[in-house]
Amino acid sequence: MFQPHSVLWQYLWVAPNLLLAVLASILWKRGLHKQFRGFYIYAWFQAVQWAVLYPMDLIPSVSAVDYLRIYWFSVLLESIILFVLISEIFADVFGSYAALAHVGRLLIRWGGAFLLITATIFAARAPIDNRTWLVSTSQIMQEAMYIVVSGLIVLLFVSGAYFRLAWNPRVFGIALGLGITGCVHLATWAIRANFGAVRKSNLLDIANLATSHVVVLMWYYYLLVPQKVATKSVVALPENSLALWNRELERLLQQRPAHQ
Amino acid sequence: MTIAIILVIAATLSLAVIFGVAVSRSLQISAEGSLASQIHPLDIEAFRNLADPAEDAYLRRRLPAFEYRKVRRMRLRALAVYVQTAGRNAAVLVRMGQNALPSSDAGTAEAARQLVNQALLLRRNAALVLLRIYGARFRPNSDLPAASVLYRYSQLSGAAMLLGRLQNPAAPVRI
Repeated sequence: MFQPHSVLWQYLWVAPNLLLAVLASILWKRGLHKQFRGFYIYAWFQAVQWAVLYPMDLIPSVSAVDYLRIYWFSVLLESIILFVLISEIFADVFGSYAALAHVGRLLIRWGGAFLLITATIFAARAPIDNRTWLVSTSQIMQEAMYIVVSGLIVLLFVSGAYFRLAWNPRVFGIALGLGITGCVHLATWAIRANFGAVRKSNLLDIANLATSHVVVLMWYYYLLVPQKVATKSVVALPENSLALWNRELERLLQQRPAHQ
Repeated sequence: MTIAIILVIAATLSLAVIFGVAVSRSLQISAEGSLASQIHPLDIEAFRNLADPAEDAYLRRRLPAFEYRKVRRMRLRALAVYVQTAGRNAAVLVRMGQNALPSSDAGTAEAARQLVNQALLLRRNAALVLLRIYGARFRPNSDLPAASVLYRYSQLSGAAMLLGRLQNPAAPVRI
C-alpha cells in the first residue's frame, strides 16, 4: 500500500498538484491572483513541476539521471519561489503598520541570512555519496530549503503573535500551510539526507505527499470559503483606566523626561 | 545522524510553535470582548523613579558598593516588571485600536491608527529595553535603559485617551 507507484502513492502525488492547478485557476478567475501573486506563482509552479516530473517517472525510457537532473533544477527554482512568497507574506503582515514596516524588512533580511548560514552549515555536514551525488545533493538541498522556510515561518508567527498583529485570514492560511509543509518536509528530508539509504524511505515519501495533500485542502478552505468576519465591535476603554491614565499623563506633562 | 536528530527535533518544535500561535490567535479573536479588563494601570510615578538616572546616581553615592549592587538588582527587577506590564498593555491597545480602525468616523479611525502605531512602537521598545535591563544586571555601571519606554507610554496614554473620548464622548475623560 505504501510502496512507490502503489494506488495511494499515485493518488497522493497526483491529487494535490491537480487541486493546486484548479485553485490557481479559481484565484485567477476571482481576480485574487493579483492580491496573492507569490502564492499564485507557487501554485502554478507546483502543478507544472508535477506535470513534468510525473510522466518522467512513469516513462521507462527516461533515465534516472535525467529525472534527477530535472528534479534538482526544479528544487532550486522552488527555493527561489518560496523565498519570494514568504517575503510577500512578511510584507503583507508587517507592511500595513507604518511603525513595523521596517521591523518586517529587518526580520526577513537578517532572519533569512541567519537561516541561510545555518542551512549551509547543516548541508556541509551531510554525507554525500559520490556514486549517486545527484540524489544526495537534491536531498541536502531540500533539507536546506526547508530549514529556511520553516525558520522564516516560525519567525513570522512568533513576531506576529508578539505584536498581536491582525492577519488577513487568507494570508494566515497560506502561511500556516507553508509552515506545516516546511516542518514535516524538514524532518523527512533531514532523515533522508543524513541517514543515507533509509529502509522504509517510502513511508517518508507518503508522509510528505500526505502532508502536501492536507495543506492544499487547507488552502482551499482559507482562500475560497468566505471567512467569518470577526466582530469588530468597538471595545470601550475602561473608564477607571482612562481616569488613571489621565492623572498619570498630567503628572508626566508637569515633569516630562529630558530624553525625548 | 546527530544532525538528523537535531533537525527532526527542531522541526517538531517549530510545528508546535506554529500550531500554538494559530490556536492562541483563534482564542484571542473569541476573547476580544474582555480586552478592556486585561489592561493593568501602571504607577507612572514609581516607574519614573525606578528609571531615573539621578536616583540611581544618588543611591550609588550614598550606599556602600555591596549594598548598592543589591539595591540596583532589585530596582532592575522591578523595572523589568514595569516594562513588561507596559508592553502587555500596549499589546491590548493594539487589539483595541485594530477593532476601532474600520470606524466610519474619520476622526476615530485616525485616532485608532495612531494608537495602533504608538502601541506597536512601545511593544517593540519594551522588548529591546527588557533585553538591556537583563544585560544591565551584569554591568553595575551601565545606564538604566527604560526612559524610552516611559516616554512612549506617555504618548500611548494620550492616544488611548483620545480614542476613548472619540468612541465614548460621554465618559468623563479629560486630556
